[in-house]
Amino acid sequence: MSSESIIVEQLSKTYQVPEREGGFGAAVRGFFKRKYKDVKAVQEVNFKIEQGEIVGFLGPNGAGKTTTLKMLSGLLHPTGGTANVLGFTPWELKPDYLRSMTLVMGQRNRLAWDIPAADSYLLAQAIYRLSDDDYKKTYKELDELLELEPLMKKPVRNLSLGERMKVEIAAGLLHRPKVLFLDEPTIGLDISGQVKIREFLREYNKRTGATILLTSHYMADVTALCERIIIIHHGQLKYDGGIANLSRRIAPFKLIGVRLALSEDEGLGDSNGRDLSKYGDPVQNEEDAEKVYVRVKAEDVTKVTSRMLSELPIHDITIADPPIEDVIERAFNE
Amino acid sequence: MFNIFKRLWQVNWAEQWQYRANLAMYILYWLVSPIIYLSVWTSIATANGDVNGLTANDFITYYMILLIVDQLTSNIIIHIFGYKVQDGSLSGELIKPIHPMLTNTLVNDIAFKTLNMMLLIPIWIGLTLLFKPQFDSVSLGGIALAIPAIALGYAINFLLSGIITSLAFWTTRVYSIHEFYYALIMLFAGQFVPLQLMPAVIQNIARVLPFQLFMYLPIQIIQGNLSAQEITQGYVTGILWFIAALIGFRIVWRRGVKQYSAVGA
Repeated sequence: MSSESIIVEQLSKTYQVPEREGGFGAAVRGFFKRKYKDVKAVQEVNFKIEQGEIVGFLGPNGAGKTTTLKMLSGLLHPTGGTANVLGFTPWELKPDYLRSMTLVMGQRNRLAWDIPAADSYLLAQAIYRLSDDDYKKTYKELDELLELEPLMKKPVRNLSLGERMKVEIAAGLLHRPKVLFLDEPTIGLDISGQVKIREFLREYNKRTGATILLTSHYMADVTALCERIIIIHHGQLKYDGGIANLSRRIAPFKLIGVRLALSEDEGLGDSNGRDLSKYGDPVQNEEDAEKVYVRVKAEDVTKVTSRMLSELPIHDITIADPPIEDVIERAFNE
Repeated sequence: MFNIFKRLWQVNWAEQWQYRANLAMYILYWLVSPIIYLSVWTSIATANGDVNGLTANDFITYYMILLIVDQLTSNIIIHIFGYKVQDGSLSGELIKPIHPMLTNTLVNDIAFKTLNMMLLIPIWIGLTLLFKPQFDSVSLGGIALAIPAIALGYAINFLLSGIITSLAFWTTRVYSIHEFYYALIMLFAGQFVPLQLMPAVIQNIARVLPFQLFMYLPIQIIQGNLSAQEITQGYVTGILWFIAALIGFRIVWRRGVKQYSAVGA
């Protein structure tokens, strides 16, 4: 037996997406003859993951992360290539395979909405054929790590987002899967919620030796959990290796955001228009239009910040890591 | 397996119970058409003395029994399952090691049915007081003989509805296909009119179709109107349809899941 729990070779998925132009004529033509466009979501991806590894699976939206996770969990048939997880071909949906893996999607609920999670957990116990002893033992462990007990008796719909995520993740782990596919397990959670889930996953991995492949938009998730990351972009594998190497390639950048104090006769437009390019690369940020951002090399941050503070009428200043999407975009589009 | 069904029952029963007000409205809506047929046929029979030998009381007892039998053999899986395919929530169920339709959906439907019966029985008793049927020809033996037919009718209806619902894997138009199926039931199961009043051609067709097991056959058995030979024929037809529906369901289901996982679960 090899110690690899996931082996992916030349895995590809091409969707056929119906396509038509706007307008009545096109609608009528489309009724009789549909045109399809091929969308290559995943293209000939190869990687191997050892048992017990935690691997971060990264890429911008639409890169093919979720499609890959769905293929590996068996929900999607690929259009090419092979995958082998724990010795199974996932999309054959063999019950023995389904009993040994889990897929948790942060944006989907698996628990019944109207009833307390406790009932859904007992159902999972029956579905996965767990003995009372095994079930109680696993539940106790999960409860220790995630403090589930106070959440068990309320209908799931009455839980907060963070509480629900805890209950959802634990529900996916009751059968002690050997492989975990986690799609955005911390999405929408506040910082302390994210930290809790992260700590839990690390601890779970340590205790059970489970293999974890997770996607996340939060760089902190990835840096905290994963020694290795796989990046895909436009469906193609772009990077597979240690996170330290990637950091060396891209993390030398920080984002400095400033809000300038306005004198009364000065409009906001002038402030935004102020040329900050002498401090670093100006960066657009649509979420926070009042701030102006520049990208600065990590080693220059102190220097540049003090220069900005002395030369500009600074009202507010922030220094942050660039968002992971930018990092990846930048790393591979440069 | 028993344990799975027990837990499924607990979950689905608790869930259905949340929607009991909804169910009450559903029951009232569903009651309308059989009661109309009952009233129409009863008044015709009263005016003429009888219709082809069927008296007013025959119609009343027929439709009073139909209310129970129809409720027992029908299902709502198109509503439970159809949308799960369309909104993708089926995905979570597909990667569990149990069959989504033959476990969860089945139990959900039975929970729905049980709650419905609890609502229906008081209404049914009320209707009995209103229409005063004479159940002279009904015997315990007849009821006992009809119970397997009702179970068979439910199973066939479930599987055929399951096939139609599985078409949701390919098309979003399953609801109109299901409407057509429902129209066939109305006609060939004996809801519009007891089948013995239909033209001989339709009666002959109905005899080889599965729909009579959903209403007409069990009702007639309960009413004691059928000979041993007719009952045997009905059961044989039903068992053959059950086997065919089971095979058909398995084929359509397997292909449907493949289709679902091809286009993006």
